[in-house]
Amino acid sequence: MEQYEPERLSAPQLAAMRRSLKDGRGALTRRSLLRASGTGALALGGLGVLSACGIPPAARAGDASASDDHSAAEKQVNFSNWTEYMDVSEDEKSRPTLDAFTKRTGIAVKYTEDINDNVEFFGKIKPQLAAGQDTGRDLIIVTDWLAARIIRLGWAQKLDHAYLPHAFANLSAQFRRPDWDPGRAYSYPWTGIPTVIAYNEKATGGRKVDSVTQLLDDPKLKGKVSFLSEMRDSVGMTLLDMGKDPGSFTDADFDAAIGRMQKGVDTKQIRRFTGNDYTADLSKGDIAACVAWAGDIIQLQADNPAIKFSIPSAGYITSSDNMLVPAGARHKTNAEKLMDYYYELPVAAQLAAYINYVCPVDGVAGELAKIDESMASNTLILPDKAMAAKSRAFRSLEPDEETAYEEKFAKLIGA
Amino acid sequence: MSVTEAPPAHPAEEAEVRKPSTRRRLVPYWLLLPGILWLLVFFALPMVYQASTSVQTGSLEKGFEVTWHFRTYWDALADYYPQFIRSLLYAGTATLLCLLLGYPLAYLIAFKAGRWRNLVLVLVIAPFFTSFLIRTLAWKTILADGGAVVDVLNTLHVLDVTSWLGWTENNRVLATPMAVVCGLTYNFLPFMILPLYTSLERIDGRLHEAAGDLYATPATTFRKVTLPLSMPGVVSGTLLTFIPASGDYVNAELLGSTDTKMVGSVIQTQFLRVLDYPTAAALSFILMAVVLLVVTVYIRRSGTEDLV
Amino acid sequence: MTQQQTEGGDVRLTGISKTYGSFTAVHPLDLTVPQGSFFALLGASGCGKTTTLRMIAGLEEATTGTVSLGGRDITDLPPYKRPVNTVFQSYALFPHLDVSENVAFGLRRRGIKSVKKQVGEMLDLVQLGDFARRKPHQLSGGQQQRVAVARALINHPQVLLLDEPLGALDLKLRRQMQLELKRIQTEVGITFIHVTHDQEEAMTMADTVAVMNGGRVEQLGAPADLYENPRTTFVANFLGTSNLIEGEIVSTGTDVVVSAGGGKLRLPGGRCPSPAESGGKLLVGVRPEKISLAHTDDAGAIPEGRNRVTGRITDSSFIGVSTQYVVESPAGTALQVYEQNIERDGRLVPGADVVLHWNPEHTFGLDAAQSIDAGVAEGLEDAA
Repeated sequence: MEQYEPERLSAPQLAAMRRSLKDGRGALTRRSLLRASGTGALALGGLGVLSACGIPPAARAGDASASDDHSAAEKQVNFSNWTEYMDVSEDEKSRPTLDAFTKRTGIAVKYTEDINDNVEFFGKIKPQLAAGQDTGRDLIIVTDWLAARIIRLGWAQKLDHAYLPHAFANLSAQFRRPDWDPGRAYSYPWTGIPTVIAYNEKATGGRKVDSVTQLLDDPKLKGKVSFLSEMRDSVGMTLLDMGKDPGSFTDADFDAAIGRMQKGVDTKQIRRFTGNDYTADLSKGDIAACVAWAGDIIQLQADNPAIKFSIPSAGYITSSDNMLVPAGARHKTNAEKLMDYYYELPVAAQLAAYINYVCPVDGVAGELAKIDESMASNTLILPDKAMAAKSRAFRSLEPDEETAYEEKFAKLIGA
Repeated sequence: MSVTEAPPAHPAEEAEVRKPSTRRRLVPYWLLLPGILWLLVFFALPMVYQASTSVQTGSLEKGFEVTWHFRTYWDALADYYPQFIRSLLYAGTATLLCLLLGYPLAYLIAFKAGRWRNLVLVLVIAPFFTSFLIRTLAWKTILADGGAVVDVLNTLHVLDVTSWLGWTENNRVLATPMAVVCGLTYNFLPFMILPLYTSLERIDGRLHEAAGDLYATPATTFRKVTLPLSMPGVVSGTLLTFIPASGDYVNAELLGSTDTKMVGSVIQTQFLRVLDYPTAAALSFILMAVVLLVVTVYIRRSGTEDLV
Repeated sequence: MTQQQTEGGDVRLTGISKTYGSFTAVHPLDLTVPQGSFFALLGASGCGKTTTLRMIAGLEEATTGTVSLGGRDITDLPPYKRPVNTVFQSYALFPHLDVSENVAFGLRRRGIKSVKKQVGEMLDLVQLGDFARRKPHQLSGGQQQRVAVARALINHPQVLLLDEPLGALDLKLRRQMQLELKRIQTEVGITFIHVTHDQEEAMTMADTVAVMNGGRVEQLGAPADLYENPRTTFVANFLGTSNLIEGEIVSTGTDVVVSAGGGKLRLPGGRCPSPAESGGKLLVGVRPEKISLAHTDDAGAIPEGRNRVTGRITDSSFIGVSTQYVVESPAGTALQVYEQNIERDGRLVPGADVVLHWNPEHTFGLDAAQSIDAGVAEGLEDAA
């Protein structure tokens, strides 16, 4: 009985929970609503404000307004990032890589952890972008599908590769040609986020779980399987399992994948669709196997050796978080310098060692090994060739498509 | 300007009399002003925008314009009525449970706790010192599949009954309607207890003595005196519980499954993920209307308009 | 009065007491209230009178002793099973019920369905017939008080308990309600036990008054008897005002002679606490209104055989029907004298030398072992 004491949540688990509360990407991460959720009707009123704000058509300002760049005059850059997405010194008082950047270039970085959730952040900056105003941010980090949307809407500035020599040279092949930004004209990845299958060996009775088919059909896993509430991750993994390419599928393929998961819902094989909150369930064994984000698994494994992951032979989805310079930014060149800085190998290694996601920088292994040998050999941080070969990206979606797919997926997960 | 002034007999006197009285008459309006402004900016205006949004069509790319597309309401209702019904059902059940759990506790605090009263009150509020989310997540541990609670319920064959009723599944509680209702009940219980306590505490203890003196057994005293006098607390407690509970979706998201999603989830998905703002707005309006209707009927039926 | 004919309905308290922890609110107490009487428990706040009443009602559990009603032991009965009803201090009317439902409450609890006629009659009795549909908060204090009485009386209790029922009313209304309560009691003939701190109220209304002090009954009797023959300094001072003069017994017999303040005072032997022995101490008491005041110049005209004390007026206050004088004398520093304003003597002003004289028959003696001031403060406080 004692294993259900709350204390049993270990520090890394709690950290994972905290992270899921603070910077999760899933269904559970709508913090703006959570704050208001105690007062239901009022929260809905709040929604009203937001929806009212979002009515004007998204201005397609042609190619992103090359705003007046004040980089030379104002030696500063305003950087908005997710929480716990930057290396921090041991005393948690300074950020070594950022400090080193300022020391070297004289450019002061105003670093703000104000991104908790893609959709929420988009809601926050949209009115200014739509009105052609400065968001007050020179550099932002958003997940690929949102980056795609911002670029599509003409709200990102075209990068000047003269300032991005390291980035241009060191970017991993895997990330070079996303269909939404071929040749990386507007964006550079901050991290890659592999979506894999994770399982709790204790809960599966020592059995390995290594395919979506097994998740959906293995009777021994009934009611103990979870998928992610991110449409691209869950549908993408299912498409792969069905032999389809998430990079070039049709509506029919999408519907088939939804149908396949719907069966799992109907037979109660699938217990839930989750945000980051699956981590605690997986660790406890309430969820035996699931579709999971690699970064979470690295953290969970540190505490619970029963947590394993597998790369399905059919392949896996990798999404990415990307740096963008939003339209209207005052310090574009400074932002580009900062972007490039993080593609210098020692800096990239230092960052990767801290944040445990896939490092999009080639040739960082040597530097990373200097910091931590085990990390350098962890394929969830530095994918080896075989693994990288199995990585697939979810293709970018047309606006109407995105709405239709999200709607269908919402119906699948209950709302 | 001075044309309408009083005849010039004693103009100074007139003016002196009139000015302060006018000013005084305006005082209540000045006092009302901040509240009115607040409501206007943060309630009325959003409501108008929201109403407008709900009858627009378009997309994020092309923009939205008002086309008086009232069909959105019908479509939203047709698509999501199960979530509406579920929201009302779960919120109603949780409210009832809160009342059943909260009333005896509020009664105890008000009449029996003596010097422990403040301590117990603090304990009632204590969960609020942690975040809503953390509190709800804690229930995942409490109701864990192999956990003590589930073990006991299984041993007592309670889960067989609840599974048969469709409240639980496969001898587990998490990811079932029961877990969601438990979470709602837990999270909103203090909203029930505090108004109940306040109205119970206001009841003069001598009324109990008077009832006893007039041949009422303790049970009858409760039924005929305590309960009717605590009705304002019951009504405000149920409203404070039911209204937010029916709009809540966190419990459903964390403790529930695909078939326990409440209308709050639908609204936020429509708004944030699908980017179908008109449907989201329409759903919010429908929810508001439904809650308003339920509350109005409830207040009428409980006959406490003048007590609330 | 201990042997009245209708012993069947008497309230009898036997050795009843109440302690809260180490505090004794009521010392073991024996008391019999005859059926049909109007009985008052009088005392200052905290004297145990209300606790005694509540033990009769069953609202307080007796620590020791028994309560019996008409020979039946009701000590262990809960309040709702006792055939007694209470009029509470602040009425405790049910705020959510209208007047007629308040009044009908007891009837309904006993399963009586058709209450309309009885309620109507009862409201008429308390002259509230037109207020049946009002809520308690729409009534004045006096009206609420009458509802409380009606609500209790309608049950035809064997005993009606009144806990300071007039305390919340202003003076004029209180006088009026006193008469009304007395009228109702006479009309219905039910035993009333009335708790009050107002000695005037107790004396006006009750047939029998029990004066309580410190959790004990000091003295019990008819109002006039208590007033004229207080047996303790507390009763003497609490009930009205007394002039108490400390003296030494010179001789005993039919009359007892006491030397006090340089003079001799005489009082009937029967009014002394027995045994009165020569050489013993005695408190000599006389009520202010029994005393006559004469200017020293007229001292010769005072008839023989009256008790005399000489002194000087230090204060006088005119209050309409009478004038109250405070006189300083060797027998006491502040003797009170009430003179009726029949023929006012212009010489009787502060500073005048006077002779106080009264009929020895009106003098009472008290045991000198007790505090001379007992009950003074309480009496004053409650009169205020």
